[in-house]
Amino acid sequence: MSALETIPAELGIEEAWAQQGGTNWIASQAIDVRKLAELMKARKARFISITTIQIPDEEDIVMDYHWDLDGELLTFEVPVQDKKMPSIIDLCEAADWIEREIHEHYAIEFSGRDYEPLLLRAGDTPGVNLREED
Amino acid sequence: MSYRIPMGPYHPALEEPYKLDLVCEGETVSDAKLNIGFNFRGIEQLAETRNFIQVVALMERVCGICSNIHTLSICQAMETVLDLEIPPRALYIRTIMAELERLHSHVLWAGIAGKLIGFKTMFMTCFAVREQVMDILEAISGNRVNYAMNRLGGVNRDITDPDAILKMVDALEHSIVKSVIPIFTTSRSTLSRCTGVGVLTREQALACGAVGPTARASGLAQDIRKAAPYAAYAEMEFDVPVQTSGDVYARLLVRALEIIESCKILRRALQKLPAGEIHTKSEEFEFPTGRGFSRVEAPRGEVFYSVRWDEDNYNPTRVHVRTPTYANMPAVRYMVRGARLADVPLIQASIDPCYSCTDR
Repeated sequence: MSALETIPAELGIEEAWAQQGGTNWIASQAIDVRKLAELMKARKARFISITTIQIPDEEDIVMDYHWDLDGELLTFEVPVQDKKMPSIIDLCEAADWIEREIHEHYAIEFSGRDYEPLLLRAGDTPGVNLREED
Repeated sequence: MSYRIPMGPYHPALEEPYKLDLVCEGETVSDAKLNIGFNFRGIEQLAETRNFIQVVALMERVCGICSNIHTLSICQAMETVLDLEIPPRALYIRTIMAELERLHSHVLWAGIAGKLIGFKTMFMTCFAVREQVMDILEAISGNRVNYAMNRLGGVNRDITDPDAILKMVDALEHSIVKSVIPIFTTSRSTLSRCTGVGVLTREQALACGAVGPTARASGLAQDIRKAAPYAAYAEMEFDVPVQTSGDVYARLLVRALEIIESCKILRRALQKLPAGEIHTKSEEFEFPTGRGFSRVEAPRGEVFYSVRWDEDNYNPTRVHVRTPTYANMPAVRYMVRGARLADVPLIQASIDPCYSCTDR
């Protein structure tokens, strides 16, 4: 079994990898992002980014966590519940800026972290969804 | 007693606005805080209001140095959604443009490094060398900054005179090998300003998610052109220069050696440029619901694009861009710790930062 194939079992999820859009892809409600960050750290994977997507005509938001493992692009799609997600910056400091950016744009609260002044925007109002502003 | 010194957002040492809040003990920097966002233009949100033609032109404006890389990235991501096959000649032209862009960007950086070291002659030398690349880019595309070369399904313009580019590559490589590299690697003033300065260890580089020459100068041998080849890179033969000392000198050396490798790639691509179409025949595209990802090795490191499209939409639902400076900038905090205050401008410049890209 390859290093990639063992990842779903190590995360405790039943879904298997799919090839989608040029990445190795797993979408699961059961992904614990902190467990994921721990696993990626142990594997010495390089954090790339988090893509946040608001599903059209719905309130639902999903977040794609992207890592590079030995040149392979891995994407883990996780649904956001009640606009709250656990922060992973204590396990993966490279995620700091993107969590702050998502917080500013989508009003998602990352638990277990502090926010400094806004990263990208002027002003002092945190958690404002840029898309919903007039 | 510690004291704080703000550097930026507008400062002679910075090419673009950002801010470093430095905590100093005497002349030694003990910590730094980074502030970005001075160039925020909301390009990701704007992309959701553009169709597949307009979004390419928009993404070209993310960066003024590596504009071509951004159009390549967005096109590749959209082509993945469409499952589009690109003509081989177009893939080669994309490779040639990407390497020309790397050449002018790396030589530009060498000039700026020369200026920050206090070596103005090197600054002028590098800019004269770079001008040769700019002339070629202008001859190919008609533009010196935003080349508008990439389009969905291929490229907009052909390369009609490969010999002229080959001639420029020879002349540029000669200048780099005979003057720029020897001076940078033997001049005492350069060595004393760069060696052992602004060290980023391999572990720190990995923790920060550093990419490109910044990561490779700290011993992380990652290059998307090799690890996940795109365009025509799978058919190119080149080495990935890696250094392990993690200091400013290592970053300088990695870029200098990458110029030589770019010349190698350009020669091969120009000599083997296949005949044929430069873009797909169809110019009408119907997007299915899907996502596409694209990773390319820009001069500063990996650029990552994530695109989501929903069926029957003219515009993308989401375009997310992670630029190399966004990944490399946080590493500056480690690099400046323990450094002399006077070395901070050179240290921050050694990642070849681009704040326009970072802020989007």
